[in-house]
Amino acid sequence: MNLKRITAVASKEWRETVRDRMFFSLAFLLPILWMLVFGYGLVLDVENIPYAALDRDQSSLSRDYLYRFQQSRYFDFKGALRDEREVEPLLASSRIRAAIIVPEKFQERLNAGQTVGVQTLIDGTFPLRTDITKGYVIAINSAFNEERLVDHLSRRIGISRAQAEHRARPITLEVRYLYNEEVRSTWSMVPALVMFTLMLSCPLLTALGIVREKETGSIYNIYSSTVTKVEFLVGKLLPYVLISSMNAVVLWIMATLWFGVPFKGNLLFFLMASFVFVLSSTGVGLLVSLLVRTQIAALIVTIIIAMVPTILFSGLIVPVSSLSPGAQFQAHLFPGMYYTNIVRGTFLKGIGPEVLWTDVLALALYAVILRFVGYRLFTKRPRS
Amino acid sequence: MTRKEMLQLFRDVPIIAFLVYSFTLAVYITGNGIRSQLHDAGLLVHDADHSVSSRELMYRFQAPFFRLHGEVLDSGEGLRQLDRGTAIAFLEIPPRFHEQLATGEPTAVQLLVDTTNSPNGLSAASYAARIVARFGQKIAVERTESSAESSQDLPLIVSDHRVWYNPDQNEAWFECISHLLRQITIFALLLPAAALVREKERGTVEQLLVSPLSPFQIMASKALAMTVVILGATAVGLFGIMQPVFGVPIKGSVWLFFTLTALFVVTTACMGLAGATLARNQGQVGMMTLLVAAPMLMLSGITAPMEAMPTWVRYLMGLSPLRYFIDIANGILLKGAGLNILWDSVLAMTALGAAMFGFGLWRFRKQFG
Repeated sequence: MNLKRITAVASKEWRETVRDRMFFSLAFLLPILWMLVFGYGLVLDVENIPYAALDRDQSSLSRDYLYRFQQSRYFDFKGALRDEREVEPLLASSRIRAAIIVPEKFQERLNAGQTVGVQTLIDGTFPLRTDITKGYVIAINSAFNEERLVDHLSRRIGISRAQAEHRARPITLEVRYLYNEEVRSTWSMVPALVMFTLMLSCPLLTALGIVREKETGSIYNIYSSTVTKVEFLVGKLLPYVLISSMNAVVLWIMATLWFGVPFKGNLLFFLMASFVFVLSSTGVGLLVSLLVRTQIAALIVTIIIAMVPTILFSGLIVPVSSLSPGAQFQAHLFPGMYYTNIVRGTFLKGIGPEVLWTDVLALALYAVILRFVGYRLFTKRPRS
Repeated sequence: MTRKEMLQLFRDVPIIAFLVYSFTLAVYITGNGIRSQLHDAGLLVHDADHSVSSRELMYRFQAPFFRLHGEVLDSGEGLRQLDRGTAIAFLEIPPRFHEQLATGEPTAVQLLVDTTNSPNGLSAASYAARIVARFGQKIAVERTESSAESSQDLPLIVSDHRVWYNPDQNEAWFECISHLLRQITIFALLLPAAALVREKERGTVEQLLVSPLSPFQIMASKALAMTVVILGATAVGLFGIMQPVFGVPIKGSVWLFFTLTALFVVTTACMGLAGATLARNQGQVGMMTLLVAAPMLMLSGITAPMEAMPTWVRYLMGLSPLRYFIDIANGILLKGAGLNILWDSVLAMTALGAAMFGFGLWRFRKQFG
């Protein structure tokens, strides 16, 4: 290992990257733009569900019932229907996601103390949304039921409303939200987006940067030079590790200052863990660059092996614990999952190395193994 | 010309390998593995009462939504486990719980929920509320019955909800359709764009221009070649994995589906080509397509529902052909919709494609004309 030669390779790589102004500025702009678009746009809440209602009863009670849906921020009223036949085309064209049908004699039967069925038709194409929509319908119904029951009990048995309320609801559930007390979607998304952004931009930058040299043929200069394998690999990766580390810091600043996400943990630990993560994700890029010959291939392979698993298996959207065993296994194979634990843990939970050391260790192992494989795969005498 | 493009593509072994993987195995893994609804949420309980009632309540927290992760002796231990992430919810049942229920004294149980993943935490809280409410209602009805009333004669709404198009809420359908759309988008965006830039970089574009081919033919042949390849891959994914393995229905017309998929691929390819005319080398086009691809994939409605997104994001996504194609694909496959219902999405997508193609052609002529 010769430090001078490493710096020579690194500075050459750096200058090549800087000279391509568009590439260089995109290397910094991409994380920032993504953070902005996703920080605001990637809202996982289910709100404003478009729905239509058919009121067959047209009574004051049915109007009161339907008004609760109109009032709710979870539903977005798209209009009253006159006929059941109008439902199907509206649902099929995705103009509405739910329809509520209040039957005739709704008020009459409730006032007579009878049970009434209210039909809701829900679009099942997006199961998560379907499930949550169902939950909202049930919640609105049970609030309505509770009031009817209290009314009924106090009239029938002749007890006071307060007593009747106790009878109708003997247990209350007090929910306390931890770590994200106001349950802001931004607070939970933005830290994970730091992971997402780095997990995609680091390997891409690295792979493209290295393959560029292969494709233009300038790599033959390296093959014939005195630079050793290790020196070459270290020098090659250095600029990308540097750019990515800078991006990590910028993303942290955006998360805390721009999006106002609290940072409860230890900053030094976070930065160190992020550096280890950058080392492992640039390793992914290195590996890709050694497997392919063209930049297009580098691009596609990086996107397929970095983007898709990161969206699906990193805990960004779906928690790893609710994946199937096979998918959980796959989640453990990618560095994204460990870093998600680290970012969410340090930002929101305020935990540090005492809990997260296993995740850092996994990332470090990842970085080492990828480099070792990269070293073995890289030969100065390519088959041609 | 189209054949040349295909030959060039098939020579790139890693791309073909990943094309095959993406449309078969990846679709299988995703359809099989992703469950976005609350599933197996780890629950810890601190039961200070140890009575029949507290046991009963505890065991109502069941699969598939919750998984009982054990009991802890004090709340401190519960909090520590939440910190560590071994469980996401912690239920505390107070002492005298059973006694209070028996005497009709109001009682409360507490649930602490980890909301580092907010939708998941909210979902857990909502299921817990449903479980506790049902338990409470059971007790309320038992008591009312004892005062000589039958439970059928209560003024209650019985919710009769029906889920259409996917009545069993089979998540595999959604996940594998979404994944197919994701892969189609990635390849449609990248392959033609990269092919064009490669010609630019190597200077072979000049060779093409002196040949008797118009810029229109050059661009169209690139889009066409990739469309054929991607449609083939889509057919493999749909008939090879999704239908036989997951039982995804094709309720509408297969021909309509493939025609509109072709239209989507061409539109997306034109988007990629338009971007490629702005880039000077493959590195740039890579960064640019990724800059555009990630928001398309995440915000068009297959990863998160669009309805809750801020208005400006939804307007921005009006430029994403995927946004329309999601309604089209789900419409044909699951809902059995035809052109009479999907016409507006088709129209929007076509207009977008035409605009992209026009822009790309204009840039192309300006650069080389």
